[in-house]
Amino acid sequence: MADIKTQEHLELEKIEMTLLLEAIYRYYGFDFRNYAEPFLQRRVWHRIRAEKVRSISGLQEKILHEPGAMKRLLDDLSINVTEMFRDPSFFLAFRTKIIPLLKEFSSIRIWHVGCSSGEEVYSMAILLKEEGLYEKTKIYATDMNEKMVDLAKQGIFPLDRMQMYTKNYLQAGGKRAFSEYYTATVENVIFQPYLRENIVFAQHNLVTDHSFNDFHVIICRNVMIYFNKLLQDHVHSLLYESLVLSGFLGLGNREGVKYTSHANYYQEFDCTEKIYRKIK
Amino acid sequence: MKFKTRLYVGFGLIIVLCIILVSMMMSMLNQLNHNLNRVVQERYEKVRLVNIIYQELNSISRDSRGLLANPPSELLAVFEENITQNNASLKKALEDLRGLENEGKTRELIQKLRGFGDIYQNNQYKIEALREDGKEEEASRMYWYESREIRERMFELIDELKKTEEQAMMDELDQSRNDYELAVKMTYIYVVLGVVLGIGVTIWVVRSLTGSLNRITSVMTEVADYETDKLPRLQVNAEDEIGAISSAYNHMAKALEDHIHKVKEFSDTAENQSWLKTQVAEMATMYAGIESLQELANLFITKVTPMVGASYGVFYGKEGIGGAARLRKLAAYADNDIDFGEEFRLGEGLVGQCALEKRDISLTQIPDDYIKISSGIGLASPKMILLLPADFEGEVLAVVELASFTEFSSLQEMLLDEVMSSLGITINSIISRMQVEKLLQESQALTEELQSQSEELQLQQEELRTINEKLEEQYENSEQKTAELEKTRLILEEKAQQLAISSQYKSEFLANMSHELRTPLNSLLILAQMLAENNEKNLMPKQVEYANTIHSAGNDLLHLINDILDLAKVESGNDEVNPEEVTLHTVKTLVEKQFMPVARQKGLQFTVELTADLPKMIWTDERRLQQILKNLLSNAFKFTEKGSVSLHIGIAKEKIAAIQDDMIITFSVMDTGIGVSKENQEIIFEEFKQADGTTSRKYGGTGLGLSISRKIAELLGGHIGIESEEGMGSTFTLYLPGRQAEAVSAEKEVAASVDYNEEAVQSIPQVGPAEALLVGKKILIVDDDMRNIFALTTAIEGHHMKVVFAENGREAIEVLMSNPDIDLILMDIMMPEMDGFEAMRIIRQNPEYQTLPIIALTAKAMKHDREQCIEAGASDYISKPVNLEQLFSLMRVWLYR
Repeated sequence: MADIKTQEHLELEKIEMTLLLEAIYRYYGFDFRNYAEPFLQRRVWHRIRAEKVRSISGLQEKILHEPGAMKRLLDDLSINVTEMFRDPSFFLAFRTKIIPLLKEFSSIRIWHVGCSSGEEVYSMAILLKEEGLYEKTKIYATDMNEKMVDLAKQGIFPLDRMQMYTKNYLQAGGKRAFSEYYTATVENVIFQPYLRENIVFAQHNLVTDHSFNDFHVIICRNVMIYFNKLLQDHVHSLLYESLVLSGFLGLGNREGVKYTSHANYYQEFDCTEKIYRKIK
Repeated sequence: MKFKTRLYVGFGLIIVLCIILVSMMMSMLNQLNHNLNRVVQERYEKVRLVNIIYQELNSISRDSRGLLANPPSELLAVFEENITQNNASLKKALEDLRGLENEGKTRELIQKLRGFGDIYQNNQYKIEALREDGKEEEASRMYWYESREIRERMFELIDELKKTEEQAMMDELDQSRNDYELAVKMTYIYVVLGVVLGIGVTIWVVRSLTGSLNRITSVMTEVADYETDKLPRLQVNAEDEIGAISSAYNHMAKALEDHIHKVKEFSDTAENQSWLKTQVAEMATMYAGIESLQELANLFITKVTPMVGASYGVFYGKEGIGGAARLRKLAAYADNDIDFGEEFRLGEGLVGQCALEKRDISLTQIPDDYIKISSGIGLASPKMILLLPADFEGEVLAVVELASFTEFSSLQEMLLDEVMSSLGITINSIISRMQVEKLLQESQALTEELQSQSEELQLQQEELRTINEKLEEQYENSEQKTAELEKTRLILEEKAQQLAISSQYKSEFLANMSHELRTPLNSLLILAQMLAENNEKNLMPKQVEYANTIHSAGNDLLHLINDILDLAKVESGNDEVNPEEVTLHTVKTLVEKQFMPVARQKGLQFTVELTADLPKMIWTDERRLQQILKNLLSNAFKFTEKGSVSLHIGIAKEKIAAIQDDMIITFSVMDTGIGVSKENQEIIFEEFKQADGTTSRKYGGTGLGLSISRKIAELLGGHIGIESEEGMGSTFTLYLPGRQAEAVSAEKEVAASVDYNEEAVQSIPQVGPAEALLVGKKILIVDDDMRNIFALTTAIEGHHMKVVFAENGREAIEVLMSNPDIDLILMDIMMPEMDGFEAMRIIRQNPEYQTLPIIALTAKAMKHDREQCIEAGASDYISKPVNLEQLFSLMRVWLYR
């Protein structure tokens, strides 16, 4: 009996979830319909508890009638976990393996997908600066969350993580003193404005928006882990279209192109750091 | 005729010819030789004998003449002798001549010669006999007539004989010459004949041999040009060697033909096999990239159908297991819509049957309306339908159905067999690959899920932190509000505050004043004592009593002033604590020494006891401890008239809220005095208060002792408590931290100083409160250049930090050891004695300083240096000359806690 009830309950929850996502899409235009189900479950229930409602439907009502609640849910659904030189070995690989190949181009375009609060974008800027490529590079840093994009534009990061960032910087093969790039205030560090001279910050939604340029490098780390297979494939085709031939795609260290629709279009360039190269 | 015979005959003939030639020439030579021999031997002998006869006759005649001429007697005998001898040889020659072969005239002549010879000899004898008889005349006559005549005749005969013989010799020679010439001619003829015959024989032999050989050769040569498996044969005409060769050749040709046939067969098979293998291999390579069963089915059917010449094909794949197993149509070649089934159960229809039985099913008699293979221009029924199962380890995984207009050849069937057997394996491997892939995909999805969860977790952590920070902020806000309230309160109680300030002023004033007071008071006391001693004995006893009163009052005043001074010092915070190791036993001795006399004087019992579990030493300020004990004991003695006073030193059994230490030492002063009522127990610790105002006169004292003691106890990190009942005596207990007395007091001190600084900071508007991050931090600057140290110190002290410095690595370590509260080190690299690298390495070896921030000062653009810095243990680095803003940024980052 209990099982059946749970079964029914689950079924109901599924319907509620579908309706909620559909409602959000229809009303606010945010398309979470193809996000990974367990992720949605967790985040939505998190919001349900925080909003002190009882069910998904309850949350739906609140969200549709209170834009504030939608904003909060939106924040819940955008996981902004990042750090400077996150996974230093990735940046080290980028520095040692990709930079020499990029040197040949007269201009370089890099798309940083899902830049969040921008730590990794600034890290990339520092790396390019040190390698003497920054002047001819344009970094497009996008995130679906406008709040994050605004935050990223400022280049102000909390002081408390700087010790770790310094370690990351050193591990990523930093060539100068990390402190040259920032000024610390009481609680924050402000990164030098010259670092964002060639960065374009913009809001871009991978689900609904299209490709807007072609790039030599696309960094899309730990973005697609929140998506289901369908959406992952969609994003992959979007990234594939946006990448020049022989361009590089950098994914998160738990991701890969292997089981996606575009597996055959890439060659493993660095399999531990999940760097791929477009070959056809 | 056989080859051998022919050769024998040929060569035999030549040999025979040679023999004939040679023997003929030999016989001719013999003839010639014979002729010559006759000439030489017979004729020559005859001539010689004739000559001998001639000579002998001459000799006989000469000697006979000698005898007749009456020779000397001695010579006579010689003549006679000679004549006898000559006669004998004449006779012999004649006999020899006769013995020779003679013919015709010669014989006749010889006969005559002999006849005359005999006669001559007879005459001789007669002459002899006549001479001897002395008839010399007669003898002479006879000699001259008869004998001479006979002799003449004989000479004639000899001449004739000679002539005849010479003629005969000449004839013989002619004959010989003729013979020789004939022989030469004959030889020429024979040689020519022989040569001609030899050539003839040779030509015959050679021609007969080469003729047959040529025939064989031409036939054999032809063989090479023959391309078919039919080779030319030789006619076997004779029983000779050629015949044998021909028949041997014919054998060989046959064997060759067989061989060619076999080779052809073999190559046909090999070709078939290779075609088969190629096709199979092609299929195998085709399988390589396949990732799904559908793809495999499509490829397989489109490839295999034309390969075996079929015109129609369907691939059924098995899905499901057990009873639910179905064979579903996955792909088709030349598909048409009038198919019967998309799906079959096992055993259903021929497809199902084929899968059930796991064997091929072929249909040859196909009804016209069974199935039609269609093209754009028409349709026709196939002639043969073949159903083939593909199985793996006994389980049918797929069935392939093929239809063809022609029957499948054995080769095609073989190919199908091969292909089907590998198909099973391939399907199985594809299925397992798909499963593996599915599992891998799932694992990938799980990994991603894990990552997303971890990120969420991180986010939540972040959120929690934010919430925490918000709470803190709120707390700070409320603090601020409290502070505001406090401010209002302060404003409201400005007067009270001013009073407090004036009270502090008072304390300070008092402290100063007491000092100023003590100096004259001391003079006063000494003078009073001198007066009281009355050394000059000029004072009245009354006057001495006055002087004593002055002295004791002065003494009281001095005590009062001392107490006031102490209190003032404690209150103004100028009092310093100098903790050291204090041996508890020493405390006991000192106390006993000091208070035993008092006890004896007052007739009280006084004991000091230490419990066994006490540590030998404690860490505290001995002077202060003694001050408190003295105060407490003095009080105890003061208020006890009879009974006992005791000091008990032990370890507290319960925790005291005011002291955070594992071990608390208690100093309990017990008396049997008047005791303190409950309501008065707090009052007595206030300044200038005694339990009973009215008794104050009785017991005297300033009433400062306990308050000072309590303040000092707090300074030492301890506390004073009281347990008492009025009239039953009281127990004052001093609690002191056992072990970390120092740390606590230091902490308090630091806290105090920070408080102080904060107050001070508040008065400096441009430095915000958050500089708390830097304020009060202790920085160790290690640099060998004093100017650098000075410059850095000035800048750092400007941010209200404390600076200690060292001029090289070794010194730095020493400074660090004696200043364990250092918060951050600025370390130069190039220094004498011990450089920065080594200093950092040594510092990092100490586990206490693993995380102490060390910022290395490196020369600019020395990447290697920087790497070495990080390796040596630097937390970060900054290049010289130091950019102060960068330095403070760095310090904020690394001092952040």
